[in-house]
Amino acid sequence: MPAKTPEQINEDLLRPLAGVSARYLIVLACFVTVVIAGFTAFGWQVYHGIGVAGIRRPVFWGFYITNFVFWIGLSHAGTLISAILRLANATWRRPVTRCAEVITVFALSIGAMFPIIHLGRPWLFFWLVPYPSERGILPNIHSPLLWDFFAISTYLLGSGTFLLLPILPDLALVRDHATGLRKKIYTVLAIGWRGTPRQWHRLEKAMQIMAIAVIPVAVSVHSIVSWDFAMAPVPMWHSTIFAPYFVAGAIFSGIAALIIAMGLLRKFLHLEEYLLPIHFDNLGKLLLVMSLLWVYFVFAERLTTWYGNEPSEMAVFWLTQRGSYSPLFWTMVTCNFLIPFPLLAIKKLRTITGTVIASVGVVIGMWLERFLIIVPALSHKYLPYSWGTYRPTWVEITITAATFAAMAMLYMLFSKFIPIISVWELKWGQHPEPERDSVLLRKDEEATA
Amino acid sequence: MVIDLDRCTGCEACVVACHAENNISTVGEDQAARGRAKHWIRVERYYDGEFPDVKVKFMPVLCQQCDAAPCEPVCPTFASYHTTEGLNGQVYNRCIGTRYCANACPYNVRFFNFYNPAWDKPLHLQLNPDVSIRSVGTMEKCTFCVQRIKAGEIQAEAEKREVKDGEIQPACVQSCPTRAMVFGDLNDPNSEVSRMARSNRATKLLGELGTLPKVTYLQRDSWHAGEDT
Amino acid sequence: MAVPDTIYGLFPGPRSAERGMNGLRDAGVPTDKIVVMASEPFEEYSFAQGERTTTMGWLAVCGGVVGGIAGFTLAWYTQTSYSLVTGGMPIVAPWPTGIVTYELTMMGAVLTTVIALLVGSRLPDWSHKLYDPEIAHGKVLVGVVDPSDEARADLENRLRRAGAEKIKATGRFAVA
Repeated sequence: MPAKTPEQINEDLLRPLAGVSARYLIVLACFVTVVIAGFTAFGWQVYHGIGVAGIRRPVFWGFYITNFVFWIGLSHAGTLISAILRLANATWRRPVTRCAEVITVFALSIGAMFPIIHLGRPWLFFWLVPYPSERGILPNIHSPLLWDFFAISTYLLGSGTFLLLPILPDLALVRDHATGLRKKIYTVLAIGWRGTPRQWHRLEKAMQIMAIAVIPVAVSVHSIVSWDFAMAPVPMWHSTIFAPYFVAGAIFSGIAALIIAMGLLRKFLHLEEYLLPIHFDNLGKLLLVMSLLWVYFVFAERLTTWYGNEPSEMAVFWLTQRGSYSPLFWTMVTCNFLIPFPLLAIKKLRTITGTVIASVGVVIGMWLERFLIIVPALSHKYLPYSWGTYRPTWVEITITAATFAAMAMLYMLFSKFIPIISVWELKWGQHPEPERDSVLLRKDEEATA
Repeated sequence: MVIDLDRCTGCEACVVACHAENNISTVGEDQAARGRAKHWIRVERYYDGEFPDVKVKFMPVLCQQCDAAPCEPVCPTFASYHTTEGLNGQVYNRCIGTRYCANACPYNVRFFNFYNPAWDKPLHLQLNPDVSIRSVGTMEKCTFCVQRIKAGEIQAEAEKREVKDGEIQPACVQSCPTRAMVFGDLNDPNSEVSRMARSNRATKLLGELGTLPKVTYLQRDSWHAGEDT
Repeated sequence: MAVPDTIYGLFPGPRSAERGMNGLRDAGVPTDKIVVMASEPFEEYSFAQGERTTTMGWLAVCGGVVGGIAGFTLAWYTQTSYSLVTGGMPIVAPWPTGIVTYELTMMGAVLTTVIALLVGSRLPDWSHKLYDPEIAHGKVLVGVVDPSDEARADLENRLRRAGAEKIKATGRFAVA
C-alpha cells in the first residue's frame, strides 16, 4: 500500500467528524434508549430498595459484581496494546492505540459505577473516601474494597491521562480544520498546542513514562479486584491463583473487545486503508495466546481443586462442571476456547471476520466466566442448609444491557468528536527517513565546532 | 456460649424469641421463598437415610462471634468490627450495604435488609425499645443480645458488684425449654459456660477454617466426641 | 504575549525543513532564535531536536516518592486514628498498608508527569502566539524570531533555496 500524504491522512481520519448520517443517529438513539432504561432501573432500585434485584442469601453478589469485574477486565485492552507495544516499539500499533485507550477509559468508567450501583445504600458511597468526617471514623483499609477504590482511581487517572495526552495534537488538528463554533470549542480544548519541539519532546517523554507506569497499575488493579474474592473464605474463592488468573482473563477480554471495536470502526467509518488485515492478524495471534493462557489457568485451578478433594470445594466444582451451572460452564469453554482456537490458530481462518467472530465469542465467554466465578461458589458455601440459587431480575438484566449500550454509545460519540485513529502517530510512522547527507553534515559540524 | 446438641429438641423457640427481642421483621412468603428471611438464629436440619430409617441431625446456628472473624476485615466502613469485650459488633449506621461480610461469613449468619422492614399494625406496638430498627440496605446479625449484656453490666455497676454468672441471658438462651444453651463469661474459668466448654463432647462449628468461633457445640454422645459437627 | 516578529518558511516535508534549518544555521542564526513547528514529532531529524527535557523522568520518580509517602501516611493514619480490631489482624496491617502506598505512589508519578508536561510545554496557553494553520496540512514551519532588518532578505533567500513553499512574516515584518 503506497504511503498516503499527510493531507490524505487528514482527510480520511477527520471525515468521520464532519457530519452524522441518519443511520448513525438511529443507532445512537437505540443505545441511548437502553442506557436511559438502565438508569430508570437503577432509580427504581434506589426507590424501592435493593430487594428488587435478584440477590439473596447466600448469593449476595450477582450480576452487578459480575459486570464490575467484567468491565474493569475489559479495560485492560488499552494498557496492553498501547503501553506494552509502545515499549516494545511495535510500529503496527499506531492506528490501534487510540481505539484501545478509548475502550479502556470508557470500560473503566462503566465498571467503576458498579461499586455504587450494587450498594444497599448507594447514596452513602462516599463513605469509602478517606476524608475527615463528622462520623468520627475513616474507612477500613484492611478491606479489599478500599484497595479497589485506590486502585481504580489510580488506573482511571493513569489511563485517562494515557488517552488524553496524545489527543492534544489531534485536537489542534481539528481546531485548524474547523470553523465557527467548533473552532472555538476545539481551540479551548487544544489548550494552545502548537507543535513546537519543546512540546513534542515533553509529550513523547510523558507517554514513555506513562507507558512504564500504567502497566504495573493495570496489573495491580485487576489483582486487587480478584482479591475481593480471594480474601474471603469461600470454597473455590480462597485461591492464590486468582490474581494472575484475573489479570490474564482481563487482557484476554480486552483484546477481544478491541478487535470487535476495530472491526466495527473499519466497516462503518471506512477505515479499510488504516485498519489493515495485518492488525487483525497480529491481534488475533495475541488473542490466541491469551486464550491458551486462560485455558492453562482454568486447568491448573481445577486440577488442584479436584486433586485436593476438599468436600466444600468439590461441591462447587461439580456444580459448575456437572450440576446446574454446567450449561453455562460449557458454553463458556466453547466461547473462550473451542470456537476461538481454530479461528485464530489456522492462518486461513485468521481473517478480519474470523477474528471478530472469535472475539465476540470471547466477550460472551468472559462475561460468563466472571458470573461462574462469583455465583456458584456463593450459592454453595460450607453449610449446606444455607445453599441457594440465584435468579437475576429485570432490574439487573436491564442494567447489564445498559452497560453494553453505554459502551457502544460512548464509543460512537467519541468517534464523532475526536479522530479515533491517532493522526500524528500514524503520520509519524509514515514520514520519510532523514537524508543521509544531512545527518553527515550535522556530524561534521559538531566535530569541527 | 455453649449449645448442648444432646438437649436441643429443634423446637425453634429460640428463633421466635430472637425475632421478638431484636425487632426482626418477617419478610413475607414470597421473599422468604427467595431466601431473604432474617433468622438471626436458625435451626439447621440435615436428614440422613431414607424413610423409615431417617435420622435427622439438627443444630441451632447463630453468629459465632469469631475471634478471627472473616467478616470484620472486609467491611470497608468498619461497620463490622471486634469490640473490646470480644463480640463481633455490627454498627448499622456505618453499613452502606456492600454485603462483603455476608459473603465472607462461612456460617451464613449475616442477614441483609433487602427492603425497609415493616410490621403490620398493631404488631409495631410490640417492638423492643432497646433495639434499633435497621433500614434498607444494611446488614444485621446476632449480637448475643448486646442490649441485655449492656443492661446487665449497667445494673451490676449501679449496684457496685460483679455480674453474676448466668445473670445475663440472650433471648434464645432464656427461651430454650430444655436449657440446651448456656451463656456466660468465657474469661472466667469457673463460669458454667467455661466449664461446659471444657467437656469432652466439645466441638467448634467449621473450626478448621481458623475463624476461632466462640460458640461451642457439645456433641450428641461421647462416642462421637472430637468429630467435626 | 503578543506574536513576536518572525520570518518563517513553510516546507512541504521534513527533508526540506532540514535543509532550511541548516541554511539558517549557516547564516549564523543562534539556536534560541530559530523557531520550528510541525504537526508531527520529527524525532529522527536534527531540526526538531531543540529544547529537550532531561528532568521529566526524575520528576516522575520524585512524584512517585511523594505519592508513596502520602499513601503510607494515609494508611498509617487511618489505621491508627481509629484503632478498631478486625478479624484478629493487627491494627496496622503491613499488606494493606503496602497496597495503598503502592497505589498512591503510582498516582503521584502519573500526576507529576502530567503537570510536568503541562508546565514544561507552557500549556494551557490560549494567548496569541506564533502559529500557522498550514502546519495542520502537513507543512513544517522553520523560521527566525526577531531577525535584524538587514538580514531579512538573506534569510528569506536561504529558506526559499532550501525548498520553502511559502515565506511569511509576522509582527513588524508583516507589513512589508
